[in-house]
Amino acid sequence: MTVRSLLGLFVLNLFALGVGAGLLWGLRGWRSWWELARLAGFAYMLGIAGLGVALTLVLVAGIPFSLATILLTGFVLAGAGVIVGRRLGRPRPALGVGPRRVGLAGAALAALVVVHLEALFRAARLSGLYAFDAWSFWVPKAKAIYFFGGLDEQFFSELPNATYPPLVPALEASAFHFMGSGDVVTLHVQFWFLLAGFVAAVAGLLATRVPPMLLWTFALLALVSPRVVGRTLEPQADFTLDYLFALAALLVVLWLLEHRPWQLASATVFLSAVMLTKREGQLLAACVVAAALVASWRDWRNAWPRLGLVSAGALALAVPWRIWYVSHDLTGEFPESGVTGLLDTLERARPSLQSVLSSAFSVDLWTVVLPLVIAAIVLAFIAGARVLPVYATLVYALALAGFTWAIWSFTELGVPVEQDEAINPVVRLTASLVVLSAALVPLLLDAAWRGTDPPRRPEAG
Amino acid sequence: MIEHDRGEAVRGDAQADSWSFLDWPHGIARLGVVLCTAIALCFGLIYFVKAVDRLWDTARTNAAQNFDDREFAGGNAVVVANRPLYEARALIPEDETYRVIAGPGVDGATELTAPFIDQYARYFLMPRRPSPDARWIICYGCDRSALGDGFEVFLEDETGIFIGRLAG
Repeated sequence: MTVRSLLGLFVLNLFALGVGAGLLWGLRGWRSWWELARLAGFAYMLGIAGLGVALTLVLVAGIPFSLATILLTGFVLAGAGVIVGRRLGRPRPALGVGPRRVGLAGAALAALVVVHLEALFRAARLSGLYAFDAWSFWVPKAKAIYFFGGLDEQFFSELPNATYPPLVPALEASAFHFMGSGDVVTLHVQFWFLLAGFVAAVAGLLATRVPPMLLWTFALLALVSPRVVGRTLEPQADFTLDYLFALAALLVVLWLLEHRPWQLASATVFLSAVMLTKREGQLLAACVVAAALVASWRDWRNAWPRLGLVSAGALALAVPWRIWYVSHDLTGEFPESGVTGLLDTLERARPSLQSVLSSAFSVDLWTVVLPLVIAAIVLAFIAGARVLPVYATLVYALALAGFTWAIWSFTELGVPVEQDEAINPVVRLTASLVVLSAALVPLLLDAAWRGTDPPRRPEAG
Repeated sequence: MIEHDRGEAVRGDAQADSWSFLDWPHGIARLGVVLCTAIALCFGLIYFVKAVDRLWDTARTNAAQNFDDREFAGGNAVVVANRPLYEARALIPEDETYRVIAGPGVDGATELTAPFIDQYARYFLMPRRPSPDARWIICYGCDRSALGDGFEVFLEDETGIFIGRLAG
């Protein structure tokens, strides 16, 4: 609750931006400093994902988790990016031309997003820790890492949901180190940084590809959804997972349309971060890859080996955590009914689907985001685009089917399925699709307007 | 005259553009894009006002809270009184263990107190470790007589919460 804590968080996030910029230089590079400014949000989120994955591996390896470890890990990541960039002979960036004109309407909408973020910051600044899951296990895990310098055997086996991956606790523990204390109040501001970084990342990636009016309208709509407003600042993994998933899914679809290697390389980092953030991250990552495989079937000789490589890379980074918890006899990763026990509970299928759909299409939670997603997909199809709407349809449909499976196999939840989120995780699950919409709907509508798939100004690099 | 014709031409183009929204498939798709954006904009603006209003209320409420309420936050529904856990932090050294024994004898206990006080204490008292055979005991309405004569009480709260240590 102190200025020191706030400054500490600011430095941590600046550090994450630096790490991400180093990684971005290696993966993509930038031709001008203006381009880097546009992609700063993306660089920041890349830094968060890269640091999160690397710090998880550090924890699993049993390396003592301290401020020095965090700094060293970040420097190694950024340094690796710089070395790769040098090896690839990236040219020295020029100042470059300034950003293109946004237009009055686009600027006004962007200003509203900024005002909204400012209001969120004020709410985050002095927020107490109310969320049950946050004080029950997310923050205690972070405190355990902070106080004991690693995956403490006692706390990581006794705390609820022991098999949940430690990426978010590792980021929270990093925040404690930079703040200089386990300040759980100021910790909420870290989640504000993640939200702001996500918005900036989507804006930076889409700014050259879709009109500002589309970009900022749908960013605003997703941000002001009641559930996003009420829960996005909670120090737990739900919305962090959603941001990482949305960026992974966006990068994959951009690669399907533009075939730039950096998009797939960055997607690998985000997909592994998704799998190391929450259990359902594996499901979401699988949806992205499966949708990309189907959407690229015409070009399968070129696309599928690369997508296979991405999946293998992301899995390889996520596996060590699984080895750790299996070797520590921790259980609870899979639902009670087991993966194949669904046939014994067939009567749960329909109520589970109803639960998922009523949550996904709830105006009280998400306004009209998902109905507009359906409209945007249909319009893109009508206009003649194919790759983009096929991919979007599959990501959403597979995710909804996956969520239905999750509720169906969650046999502790009786029938009729209660929507109360204290016992039913469906609301948290569907948030990922709403957050994704902020990135995909502008692309879909732009494709519908132009009647073709590729964005109007695909990027070089 | 030329100006007039030019004006007519512009009006004609505009009219043609308007009608082009009904062309299948591209016009219809574009009309759909306009409608989707308009709907998103309407909902976005309405909910923006609601969201900012709600967030400012939240910020005001958070700012008006005292330090204890902000620090306990969700725990206020569990702990009944703030003092015992603060005292536990002060009394129990960071490298010692403790255990929470919950019972029915806490005045003002909520339905969350008995089932969740040990979880909340674990979060609140870290880095102190919980242990089933710890000497430090936080007795939340438990049967004090069952702890024996060797239980030295350091804090006795009026709600029925005790903090003490068993003789070594």
